[in-house]
Amino acid sequence: MSADTDAAQLFPGGGAAGGGQAGGDGRAPGGGAGGADGGGGVRRRHAARPGGPSSRRRRPGPGAVARLALLTVGVVAALLPFLWMLRTALGPSQTALDLSSNPLPSSVGFGSFRRAWQDADLGAALATGVGVSLAILALQLATAIPAAYAFACLRFRGRTAAFAVVLATLLVPSQITSVPNYVTISALGLADTRLGLVLPFMTHAGMIFMLRQYMTTIPASVLDAARMDGLGTWRTLRSVVVPLAAPAIATVSVFSFLLSYNEYLWPLLVARSPGIATPPLALARLVTDSSSIIPDFAELAAAALVISLPSLAVFIVAQRRLATGIAGTGAGA
Amino acid sequence: MGWRAAALLLPGFVGIAVFVIGPALVSAFVAGTDKALTGPRLHWVGTANARTAFDDPDLGNAVVNTLVYCLLTVTPAVVLGLALALAVERATRGRSLLRFALFLPVSANIVAMAVVFSYIFDPSPDGLANTIVGAFGVAPVDWLGDTSTALPVVALVGGWRLTSLVFIVYLAGLTAIPRSVYEAADVDGIRGLARLRHITLPLLAPTTVFLGVFVTILTVQTFETVAVLTKGGPLNSSTTIIYYMYQVGFTGSFRIGYASMIALLLLAATVALGAVGALLGRRFRRLRTAAA
Repeated sequence: MSADTDAAQLFPGGGAAGGGQAGGDGRAPGGGAGGADGGGGVRRRHAARPGGPSSRRRRPGPGAVARLALLTVGVVAALLPFLWMLRTALGPSQTALDLSSNPLPSSVGFGSFRRAWQDADLGAALATGVGVSLAILALQLATAIPAAYAFACLRFRGRTAAFAVVLATLLVPSQITSVPNYVTISALGLADTRLGLVLPFMTHAGMIFMLRQYMTTIPASVLDAARMDGLGTWRTLRSVVVPLAAPAIATVSVFSFLLSYNEYLWPLLVARSPGIATPPLALARLVTDSSSIIPDFAELAAAALVISLPSLAVFIVAQRRLATGIAGTGAGA
Repeated sequence: MGWRAAALLLPGFVGIAVFVIGPALVSAFVAGTDKALTGPRLHWVGTANARTAFDDPDLGNAVVNTLVYCLLTVTPAVVLGLALALAVERATRGRSLLRFALFLPVSANIVAMAVVFSYIFDPSPDGLANTIVGAFGVAPVDWLGDTSTALPVVALVGGWRLTSLVFIVYLAGLTAIPRSVYEAADVDGIRGLARLRHITLPLLAPTTVFLGVFVTILTVQTFETVAVLTKGGPLNSSTTIIYYMYQVGFTGSFRIGYASMIALLLLAATVALGAVGALLGRRFRRLRTAAA
């Protein structure tokens, strides 16, 4: 899969936002991949081979060998823990007393999955985790898209100051807000509820920032044309800006889901009763519970594998877009 | 147009005000009190918590651990992530598979991976890590139970994931470099390492600054890996600042006032770091715009 096919996926129909920018004023770096690859058809032909056509590729030099070695080590290191998780989960139950690091398990079965599913109540945890993450995503999109649009496309007094406030909140670590948020959520009677897991994440400053960066690449002429056609602020947002920003919205949605689904500290504080444990919490509790007896690593691995599935699924569906999407939202420049 | 902008911004700002800015201000206030779970009253103690912080040997230990942890994760992650991104960008075949594999760690659930790593690093001679070092004749190590190896192992897990994140961002940075720049370099006969040094790396400088700051801030706030792998032990040898804050504020006697002060001091350090990064970033971005 080369960079230009990705760009084609991101910008179907010629790539209005990215292409327009690349052909326009040449604000190069911030615009990112959309601008670089989605742009001119002439340049596109060279994109797959950065060095251009040349003879030095014919036989592998020391550089190519070093690259191959690096990539091999990198891929093995990246995959090894996943493969080990799979191997342990599928193998027979094993404790610290009869540990086996034979790459192939002595027998294969799904018993560990059944035990993990029951002991950690994984079905409920998965439902809670996915539900909470989707609710957070919906709230974040509903709050971030209008704000990003206002920052990117409207002129109003105090815009710079308001945007600076948004940026400043990016620096506040979630740990500093967790204590007062816990007090707020408790005061609202939402401690130990799913709503309590969702509400504090209703807005994400990073999402506003990334969407705003992307929306600034929408050419002013497009917005002018919308105004000419008599579209008001809302209609412009709904039928012009949102469709054009769809690739960026998809990217931030993936990040949002992964972040929410993997969140650990906040559920640890709020979800006290086992019934509403999120997947990471259910797993951590399974670890704690089993450490009083002799932990069965196969069962823990099975639980770890099961709770990883939703984020892996989202990731596998979205991974082709991620690299180019990040560039488009300005973080890569 | 002011009221339209206000209407668009309102939902977002309500969320930010109620759940970020408000709490941050409340935290700043609570940091000046002796608020704890025991005893309903709270007293203003001024800078007492700050003085406690500067005299607290446990906090000092956590700061040192956090710095060591950052050094052990951020530096290798940035170097390796960049090298991998460069290698993948030059790869002629199997690029999507390579990218898929190298993206995986960042999408993984960190708690799940910490659990997996905890039995990879099991102290028994038959654990995976001990089997591997055993092949080189090293005696079995009690990885997570030894004060000298616990923090490096936690850092290895954090670095494993961080490298993947750095890789993604560098790969995005590389795709954003216009091909025309490389073509011009090719015409001038600048290739291989010279091209890397004089063209690619300078053009990636803003990405590097962004990453350096972003990744360091992220790493300073490390919590999950410590919580699952070691719970700060043995003998506090792997307690990081945030984990210590959690211990102070949410376990034992719930000293929320002091925990807030620790978070506040950490925020001050983070803001300073972010400001340095923003200044550097602006400088490099100007350079890059000039170059491109």
